[in-house]
Amino acid sequence: MTTSAASAAFPNVDPAIFSSLQAKIDNDTAIRDELKSIVEALSKQGRVTQSILSRIHNTPTEDLAESVLAPCSESLKEQAATVKDLAQAASKYPFYKWNSIWQREIQNVVSNIQMCEWLKSGNLVTLEDVGHSLEVPVNLKDEDTFHVTIEDYLLALTYMIEELARLAPNAVTLTDYARPLQISKFIKDVHAGFQLLNLKNDTLRRRVDGLKYSVKKVEDVVYDLSLRGLIPKH
Amino acid sequence: MAGVKRRHDGMVENESSQSETKSPYLPVFEAFRAQLDEHHDRRERIIKVSRDVTAQSKKIIFALQRVRELGKPIHASTSKQTTPMYATIRTLLQSIVPDLQGSNAYRYRANISAGLQEFMEAVIFQHYLETQQVMSFEDAQTQLPNGISLTYDDYALGLFDMTGELMRFAITYMATNGQLPGIARGAGPSHRSSILADMQDLRTAFEALDATKAHSLSRDFDNKLKTTRQSVEKVENGVYHMIVRGKERPKGWKPDFSSADAGRDSGEAVESR
Repeated sequence: MTTSAASAAFPNVDPAIFSSLQAKIDNDTAIRDELKSIVEALSKQGRVTQSILSRIHNTPTEDLAESVLAPCSESLKEQAATVKDLAQAASKYPFYKWNSIWQREIQNVVSNIQMCEWLKSGNLVTLEDVGHSLEVPVNLKDEDTFHVTIEDYLLALTYMIEELARLAPNAVTLTDYARPLQISKFIKDVHAGFQLLNLKNDTLRRRVDGLKYSVKKVEDVVYDLSLRGLIPKH
Repeated sequence: MAGVKRRHDGMVENESSQSETKSPYLPVFEAFRAQLDEHHDRRERIIKVSRDVTAQSKKIIFALQRVRELGKPIHASTSKQTTPMYATIRTLLQSIVPDLQGSNAYRYRANISAGLQEFMEAVIFQHYLETQQVMSFEDAQTQLPNGISLTYDDYALGLFDMTGELMRFAITYMATNGQLPGIARGAGPSHRSSILADMQDLRTAFEALDATKAHSLSRDFDNKLKTTRQSVEKVENGVYHMIVRGKERPKGWKPDFSSADAGRDSGEAVESR
């Protein structure tokens, strides 16, 4: 119980409460602006990478290495440098407090890395390899610093598969009749992997539920090819 | 069955045999599944606690609305109801402290937020009823178990909601007592100590905040501020009508109470001008 003299000294609604609240708001705004400027640079680079990769839809397969993969690798290197800058800045603050700012851009970068690797080797790049490419940690549990999360990797994979589903008919247009078979096998294998997950009603589930349309689209392409005897003989 | 593909009628034989091959990516997805399941289980534990804390906090607020005095410790009959509720809340929050450590504090912020806001509303409301002062952020943080940190957003949004409870309390008090609740404080004019003046101060303070760039707070800020304005105006109108129409009230008149309430209030004189 405060004395009446002490009570008189304190206003019922203490202005200090609101001035410290405003200071907190202003501080958060400054942090957000700092991180956002780096993310915007990453976003700009991402559009360049995306533009290069979109050429896969009108470049013959034998010309991919020179026309698409080489410039794409260069652009991804530049993005990796920006991601490193972002990692340095973001690791000063709680990761999950701010990660909504960069989540989508990181997913785009990861998706492009996945696509680039698949076009080179036909393989799915692992989450750890993505971390190596970007020189940032992945899937951290015990450290509160910048990292690529499992959800980022999986969401990126859904974008990549959608792009591959688009590539299948375009490859036929470019007279590469073997490409759809390769795409079909890969997409089905990944889709089988996604079936193992116990998905909740969240963003990832909505993306994964959409994959069956990509699978169907590529199956239709393979069906059309087999029906017309265009599948290469082994 | 997971991992085994459906056979496609019409596919050539080599395609059929190929489609039976197990996906090489199953092991990596099994690892992802384990981690995502762990994440979702933790999230759901936190959501359940948040809901229970919300429910208990609302019960506390209902009990506090039955309080009849401002600026004094809560009456024993009300404390008897609220003390076990506070204990339940602290037990619930303590149970999820391990789930909210390190980077998980913000990962699951959205899941615990509703519960914390409601709890803040309850503790700030009780503090105001007992002291007629708004509890500071630092004092509010001490109401939570170690290991659960209070964010300014949850504190501010809880405080916004508390203005709604003040409005209910003020209207109910005026209806049953014929006067505005408040306590004399020092040598200041008595009207400055009224609940209405405090609500007006709260509204002024909130309006002074620039939350347009506070990403998470700004989503709710405009709606909450609008509701707070409405609450203050309701009390302002209530006071006006009490002053104007209250003059018509016969001296000594009071609403009929049940015998229990009548017993408690019999010693309190109703004042009218």
